[in-house]
Amino acid sequence: MGQSAPPRMPVVLVVEDEPLQRMMAADLVEDAGFDVVQAWGADEAIRILETRSDIRIVFTDVDMPGSMDGLKLAASVQDRWPPIQIIVTSGYFRLADIDLPPHSVFFSKPYQHEKLTAQLRKMAAV
Amino acid sequence: MTQEPFTDNQVLDRRLELLEAYNVLNTPAEPEFDDIVLIASEACRTPVSLVSLVEDDRQWFKARIGFEACETPLDQSVCAHSLSSPDLLIIPDLALDVRTRNNTLVTDDPHIRFYAGAPLVSPEGIAIGTLCVIDTVPRPEGLDASQRRILTALARQVIVHLEARRLSHRKDELFKRQKGVAANIRADAHRNMAAQEAGRIGTFEIDIATGTVSTSPEFCRIFDVPVASTYPTSTFEAMAIDQGIQSTDATRADGSALTDVEYRIKTPLRGIRWVSRQATFDRDERGRPVTMRGTAQDVTFQKRSVLRVQALLDLGDRLRELDAIEDMTVAASDLMGKALDAVRAGFGIVDYASESIVIHPDWHAPGYPSVAGRHFFRDYGAIIGDVNAGKTVAISDVGADLRLADRAERLIGLGAKAIVLVPILDHGRFNLMAFVHFDEPRKWTDDELNFVRNFGDRVQSAIARRNAEAEQALMNREIGHRLKNSFAMVQAIATQTLRPVTERQHVTAFQQRLFALSKAHDILLNEQVGAPFGAIVASLGETLGMEGRLLAEGPPVMLGSRGALSLGLLLHELGTNALKYGAFSVPEGIVSAKWVVDGSGTEPMLRFSWSETGGPPPKLPTSRGFGTKLIQMGLIGTGAVTVSYEPPGFSAKMSASLQQLQQAN
Repeated sequence: MGQSAPPRMPVVLVVEDEPLQRMMAADLVEDAGFDVVQAWGADEAIRILETRSDIRIVFTDVDMPGSMDGLKLAASVQDRWPPIQIIVTSGYFRLADIDLPPHSVFFSKPYQHEKLTAQLRKMAAV
Repeated sequence: MTQEPFTDNQVLDRRLELLEAYNVLNTPAEPEFDDIVLIASEACRTPVSLVSLVEDDRQWFKARIGFEACETPLDQSVCAHSLSSPDLLIIPDLALDVRTRNNTLVTDDPHIRFYAGAPLVSPEGIAIGTLCVIDTVPRPEGLDASQRRILTALARQVIVHLEARRLSHRKDELFKRQKGVAANIRADAHRNMAAQEAGRIGTFEIDIATGTVSTSPEFCRIFDVPVASTYPTSTFEAMAIDQGIQSTDATRADGSALTDVEYRIKTPLRGIRWVSRQATFDRDERGRPVTMRGTAQDVTFQKRSVLRVQALLDLGDRLRELDAIEDMTVAASDLMGKALDAVRAGFGIVDYASESIVIHPDWHAPGYPSVAGRHFFRDYGAIIGDVNAGKTVAISDVGADLRLADRAERLIGLGAKAIVLVPILDHGRFNLMAFVHFDEPRKWTDDELNFVRNFGDRVQSAIARRNAEAEQALMNREIGHRLKNSFAMVQAIATQTLRPVTERQHVTAFQQRLFALSKAHDILLNEQVGAPFGAIVASLGETLGMEGRLLAEGPPVMLGSRGALSLGLLLHELGTNALKYGAFSVPEGIVSAKWVVDGSGTEPMLRFSWSETGGPPPKLPTSRGFGTKLIQMGLIGTGAVTVSYEPPGFSAKMSASLQQLQQAN
């Protein structure tokens, strides 16, 4: 979905293991005017990030199966691709419970679509 | 089974004695006997079978099948007839037999007609009753050979069971009696000890100038020093544990020494004792003290019982205010050790996986090391068996107790010459151990052992309570998390399902209401009990991005889950309306949200007001949408709402029963 879009649209990588929620997030990202790339887990997200250089924002869930959860993914993205901006979301954790990488933003699930859209646009404008 | 011939009365007496010895009359049913009557009635194909025990005026049934009464008067008993017969008594038709034809059980309900009974003969040759089978139709053929054999054999089985119970009953009796005797002796000994101690009054007279004290023999015994007529005052001053209470050279010289005091001394052989001392001064002609004379009394016994009561009271208070298990055991150790004047006291938690006990930081008197840390069961030697089985182990003299063997030396090295270990069970399982150490051999009194047990039980129940609370908190959190994820799923499903809907404002309204509900849940989840009113108002300000313009004012009020969710939705509607049409639709508008608790009526009411100022002129809503309905429903769906669209802006006032708002569900 949108992987071959023209490069002038900023690209957002949505990482979410729950298909319905991933679908909703992808729609939201597209409706906000971005190109979207989807991954069902952190490992896949890393593989995608390693193969393409046009991703501007990673929007990831925290609680996911696999060798890495969303927080580790965020830390790893911060470390390896510092220009990429990060939005983290979770239904289990609250902001107070987790250790976010600097400059990343947290949204508690369920999130408000308007606020998330505004956040994406703000990040893309920087 | 040889026996002297007995007279009828002798036989009756023996029978009654035996029944008494079997201790079976009026006891509840037991499966051993029930099985026997079941087999008998099956084998003989009769509806009724009984184990009947015959007393002097009635027959009582230890087991019965097919017969309602559990006893009958003796004149209704057929069994009584079979007692005198050494073999089976079979009466094919009770209505024809001269012995039974007038029996009311035959002439009236239940109209029994056939009877076969095997006597229950004790090893002494005394028949105490019968195992019988009964039918309501006559049976001319009686029982066949096999049925007779079975009935006789089963009768012997009844006796076997009764004999077994007589033996165990006898053992119990003996055991009980022994225990009773031992307890009486112990109690007597303690009473004597206490009386002796209470009666001990020693006298003394101190010559203040020389610092010499003349002592009575009893005074010397109280202080546990060899009987002598004089001692230097320093001898006794050196024994004081609590400094500054006893008199000194200086306080005696100027007469400022307290005349009526209680203090603890450390005696060479009898450990710590409480002494009550009363004194007066003799003065010279210029009023200067010359001698201090008085009495001393050993009040250890009374003092300790007072201290134990006080410690138990204090323990209750301490346990209530503490949360961490280790804090509880540390506080309890401190109170327990001091109340007993021990040298060490503490608690350990059993760790079955590694067969060890983890001793928490204990209380120890100055100069004695702590024994905190992991101790393996094997370190306790032979006594661990008793502790594990839930028995208190009280050792008066560690050096002399054979069970400790080579471990005694280590204990003595730690200053533990008398020890008590009290296992505390949790659902029958050894879970917590309380222990106390003394630095001199001593007799443990029942009061002291009960005190330690009581301490242990209370600590155990405090631990159990705390664990249950922690578990509950964990579960609440888990449920809350699942709920939040469910909200996220509902949001995702709704977003996908409603994607084709062209009137987007409805979809947005739905999403926002869902979000408002989820926020209210968030607040409930973060708090242990309910949600603060103020937090729900604040959350609205945050959601709308109107933190500075939503002015909240009201006392702390906790809402139950229903009240919190209802208020969350209501505030969301008020807030969105303000955003669309009211104070929040222009940069300078302000909303004031106030709540008060009004206790003037029959039940406390919560009154809430929402007043907008600085917005455009308010307009009556044109349609009655869901939002308007929600507002009209009020704080908890019970109405009591007044709204105003007059200048300076929209306002709403509503009230609801505080109790309803605070209900958990």
